[in-house]
Amino acid sequence: MQSALLWCALGFYGLGILLALPSMMRRRPSLPSSTLAAVAVGLAWHAIALLTLARAVHRLPAIDVESAISLLAFGVTLAFFVTYLRYRITSLGIFMLPFSFFLTLLAASPRGRPADFRPFSNTWIVIHVSAMIAGYTALFLTFVAAIMYLIQERELKSKAPRAFYYRLPSLEVCDQLYYRSLVLGLFLLTLGILTGFVWASRAWRGPWELDPKILASLAVWIIYLVLFSTRYSGNWRGRRLAYGAILGFAVIMVTFLGVTFVSRQHGFLPMSGRMP
Amino acid sequence: MNLVLVGISHRTAPVEVRERMNIQDRYLGGALAELVRREGIQEGLILCTCNRVELAASADEGVEAQRAIRQFLSDFHHCDLSAYESYFYWYRNREVVRHLFRVASSLDSMIVGEPQILGQVKQAYAAARDAGALKGTLNEVMQQAMAVARRVRRETALGTAAMTVSYAAVELARKIFGSLAGKTVFIIGAGKMSELAARNLLGAGATAIFVANRTYDRAVELARAFQGTAIRFDELLPYVAKADIVISSTGSPHFVITRQQAERLLAARKNRPIFFVDIAVPRDIDPSINEMENAFVYDIDDLGQVVEANKKQRQHEAAWAEEIIEQEVERSMCRLASRDLAPTIVAIEERLIQIRDSEMERFRGRLATLTPDQRQAVEALTQGILNKVLHGPLRELKSVAGSPEHGKLVQLVRRIFGVGE
Repeated sequence: MQSALLWCALGFYGLGILLALPSMMRRRPSLPSSTLAAVAVGLAWHAIALLTLARAVHRLPAIDVESAISLLAFGVTLAFFVTYLRYRITSLGIFMLPFSFFLTLLAASPRGRPADFRPFSNTWIVIHVSAMIAGYTALFLTFVAAIMYLIQERELKSKAPRAFYYRLPSLEVCDQLYYRSLVLGLFLLTLGILTGFVWASRAWRGPWELDPKILASLAVWIIYLVLFSTRYSGNWRGRRLAYGAILGFAVIMVTFLGVTFVSRQHGFLPMSGRMP
Repeated sequence: MNLVLVGISHRTAPVEVRERMNIQDRYLGGALAELVRREGIQEGLILCTCNRVELAASADEGVEAQRAIRQFLSDFHHCDLSAYESYFYWYRNREVVRHLFRVASSLDSMIVGEPQILGQVKQAYAAARDAGALKGTLNEVMQQAMAVARRVRRETALGTAAMTVSYAAVELARKIFGSLAGKTVFIIGAGKMSELAARNLLGAGATAIFVANRTYDRAVELARAFQGTAIRFDELLPYVAKADIVISSTGSPHFVITRQQAERLLAARKNRPIFFVDIAVPRDIDPSINEMENAFVYDIDDLGQVVEANKKQRQHEAAWAEEIIEQEVERSMCRLASRDLAPTIVAIEERLIQIRDSEMERFRGRLATLTPDQRQAVEALTQGILNKVLHGPLRELKSVAGSPEHGKLVQLVRRIFGVGE
């Protein structure tokens, strides 16, 4: 059921991308409204999928790696939708829609669930997981803004404008999008890490601070804290900040997907009885 | 549908002829009222700009509207139109729709993509509405034309790219700073070119301005003209750090701003971006500053290169805009044709229902013994036959909507079903 609903959402996301292809190839300044409609319908299916799951488990639907990815995919698509309506940047579609599609595909692909499966059942962990996922979504937007900045900057420096010069927003808008999503992302990340600490200190025994995923998350947090403070003080701007955001998001992806499978107790899959 | 358009424009007529045929705003209402009073003319629209005079009308079916319009024009201008015949272009039906779409979308403009024309079209539309000269087909076409123009503006970048060097500088500044509101401009070297560039930047929203010149008096003079501040030439660097856009055009044989100075400048600016426009030859700004982060240096050749790229881009955009127009003309013609079709369809339906009702009436006595269920079945049966009979012809009529044989086919179907003219 869950998976069928996700496939529906995936189908509409895919349709949205297909409908957007001609205007992207021909470097149109706006996405066709059919794309937006398809993405909106996809979002609706996706929301239904998440809601049915939430009803079934009576919790935030981030109970295992698939559903967490599904939630992240929903967040990214929603972020695309809202940001596009606000800024009307076609290129957002090029960067964000394929990523949502990929994440949804991961979430929809059927995999067996372990027998001793138990969903999250504590308020702290629910806040932790949702804040982390929302934070990652915001920081993905930062990453996209960084890439758009780098391309537009290269166009301006090259002095021979090509397609992207006409299509991408100004450096100022990229910077604004970057900074706003960074501030939001960092706030959510901090919230997520703090609630995670509270939860872990109550639920885990032993030296939980050395869990690889916690360490990786701290590394992510430090990277973004540095980016925020250098941007705030004005010491770094433009290109360097953009590279920082790309690095930060790469580490997030490693944390979210890679370490999840390495960490014995901090994964989304319960390896031992005491873990969610 | 019987649409006619006559026009002269910058493509076909010199300015003396366009002047002669011009209809001033204050006579527009009267002219429109007069036009629709003519025999057979239902609707009219007059679009007058410095580059064109266009007169569109929708006439009764089968009326030769061209003659009435020609008569109207020669009456209005008190002249013999035959002297100007070669300057006019005449369009009918489909071409009228296409022409109006292209004009509104600024594809027929002297500078393709210039934005004023849509406003002028809107004014012409409002004037015609106020004069009561728009109520049917032409009204619909005009509304579509404005919608198409908006679509072209939305979906193509036609008209966004700068075509002159000094405007290219403004456009580049926008690509760096987004909005120019509140940005500071620094003019080094008071010359004609830098003055023009500064004027454009101020027009685009930049606020504060500094002026420095070898001759201090000239700087003061120009600063006064822009309500800015004059700076002594030997102490300009601290002020450059406050500027977002620097336009330099001195006669200096050396760089006025060197790479070293630029490094200090950017540090003082906390790395906020700075844009140097160097229109001096020999150059004033060390070109290697462009390699620094957050600094952008364009010399006069670079600006020229941007303009060239913009021209290519505009051609590309115009081609896409033409494609959009073709799609929309096609769609519009179908809509107009099915609009023309509506009375025929209603008439045929009424005719068939009338036949059915009279037959039912005839058999009322014999059907009196039927149960309500059976009666309902008979109703459904006859209605079903009716629908099936109608289905084919109507589909056929709709499918040829907009094609040349459409009119003949409509007549034929009307005759077959015995529906009067």
